[in-house]
Amino acid sequence: MNHHAPAEDRLAIAAHLHVLLRRKTGRVTDTEWMAANAEYAQAIVRFARQRGLADGAPELVEWADKLAHAMGEGAAPAQEPPAPPPRPARAAPGVPRYVGGIR
Amino acid sequence: MREVPRRIGAAGAMWLGALAPGWAQAPQGGTAAPTAPAMVPFDAISGADTAWLMTATVLVLLMTLPGVALFYAGMVRRKNVLNTMASVVAIAAVVSVWWFVAGYSWAFTPGSAWIGGIGRMGLAGLDYDLGARLVAVSHIAPHVPEAVYAMFQLSFAVITAALVVGAFVERMRFSALVIFISLWTLFVYAPVAHWVWEPGGWLARLGALDFAGGAVVHVNAGMAGLACAWLLGKRRGYGKEPFAPYNLGWTMVGAALLWVGWFGFNAGSALAADGRAGLALAVTHIAAAAGALGWMAGEWVVRGRASLLGLCSGLVAGLVAITPAAGYVTPRAALAIGVVAGLVCYWGATGLKRWLHTDDSLDVFGVHGIGGVVGSLLTGVFASRTVSGVEASVLTQAVGVGTVMIFSLVGTALLLWLTGKVVPLRVDEASELEGLDIAEHREQLGS
Repeated sequence: MNHHAPAEDRLAIAAHLHVLLRRKTGRVTDTEWMAANAEYAQAIVRFARQRGLADGAPELVEWADKLAHAMGEGAAPAQEPPAPPPRPARAAPGVPRYVGGIR
Repeated sequence: MREVPRRIGAAGAMWLGALAPGWAQAPQGGTAAPTAPAMVPFDAISGADTAWLMTATVLVLLMTLPGVALFYAGMVRRKNVLNTMASVVAIAAVVSVWWFVAGYSWAFTPGSAWIGGIGRMGLAGLDYDLGARLVAVSHIAPHVPEAVYAMFQLSFAVITAALVVGAFVERMRFSALVIFISLWTLFVYAPVAHWVWEPGGWLARLGALDFAGGAVVHVNAGMAGLACAWLLGKRRGYGKEPFAPYNLGWTMVGAALLWVGWFGFNAGSALAADGRAGLALAVTHIAAAAGALGWMAGEWVVRGRASLLGLCSGLVAGLVAITPAAGYVTPRAALAIGVVAGLVCYWGATGLKRWLHTDDSLDVFGVHGIGGVVGSLLTGVFASRTVSGVEASVLTQAVGVGTVMIFSLVGTALLLWLTGKVVPLRVDEASELEGLDIAEHREQLGS
């Protein structure tokens, strides 16, 4: 794939989009994979654009465009996007480990 | 104060005796010794003491780099690991420069009871004259080159500031940290070090005992951490979602480096390679072990299991508590101090923390503040007249530690307020959620 932006810039944009998606849609993404894998990035870009338009969140569209540009491509992927990664493991219910203190 | 009475020499002891009843243990009368930094002949320098103090300096710096850096970085979330390490490295550099500029002079040269003089600013006067065969010494350690003594004390200033990082990780703006720590080193750490460790300081004259920094380092850092945690506010999501530590294996490695380095911290504070240094080394190790077991026992009773982080925290608690007492107590007393510190600091980092409703993220106050208070007060209880040569007083210890607590809390709050006038103290919401590694440094941890 043709990376137009340096790796650190792609990562910064992906991290920002990750935060926006989490806050606006509840979707948890893999930031590093987003900055490294074109197909995954395209899938997230498409999802972000869709939700941005549907939910009236223009910053989602804006950052999705930035990521698409940084990844060097703007077209939608030919294939269906891979399934989003599972949510990070959380503490078991009823075991509030690391909530409100580390010790 | 570290070994001042015995090491200051006879005339110096007379001078000190007039000022500081708590320190009047040296023989009276005899030859002159410096009461201020001075040039002395080469043969006045002890090679063994100098070699040990240089070694101790390396050990104490090792406690910070990489000890504290690893200890803290292992406890934060993955997205903030590099920022935490960068904070510690930056503090080591920034504090070193401010120590050179003014910190050492204000802390360790004669002046008033409140602050030292300006004669050593820019480390002026730390001379070595080969032709005249003279070398500069501090009046506090007249048998080692002052350059070595100044660097030993620098390593204490560095680690004290680095400890504070644990209270505000994952949310403080890096530029604000650099400004705040610069101010804090000069206007909080240096005065407190002067009060307690310079023979003319008012707490030294009062007779408050602090062998290696229970109040100067740990209570000071703990209270500063508490003020930072209060004024910066809680991390987003604190108390609602789990903040899983990145790698407690790093924390264990950091704790191990702290344990080993603490031999330099405490035994080095004897300022000599002698019997007191040997005793300090022994009690340091005993207290660390007892602290780990005390915390482990508390955890076992309350939670039904022991944890690696608990063991690491407990050994640090024991080390913190023995710090003010290291040159004054027996190994049996060290065992008691360590166990009490392990138990009380476990409460400090859990029950007391919940009661305070503050996000002291890595428990700087709970471990260092509380451990320092426990150790300082127990120094008044356990200090042996046979070992220390002085009559310890719990009341005097309480006055000393209470004063440092208030000064550090208020001073830190003022300096944070001042820093906030220059640059925002916290990163913005998006940066906090992204993580400070990317937001502040444009760097990421490898996969």
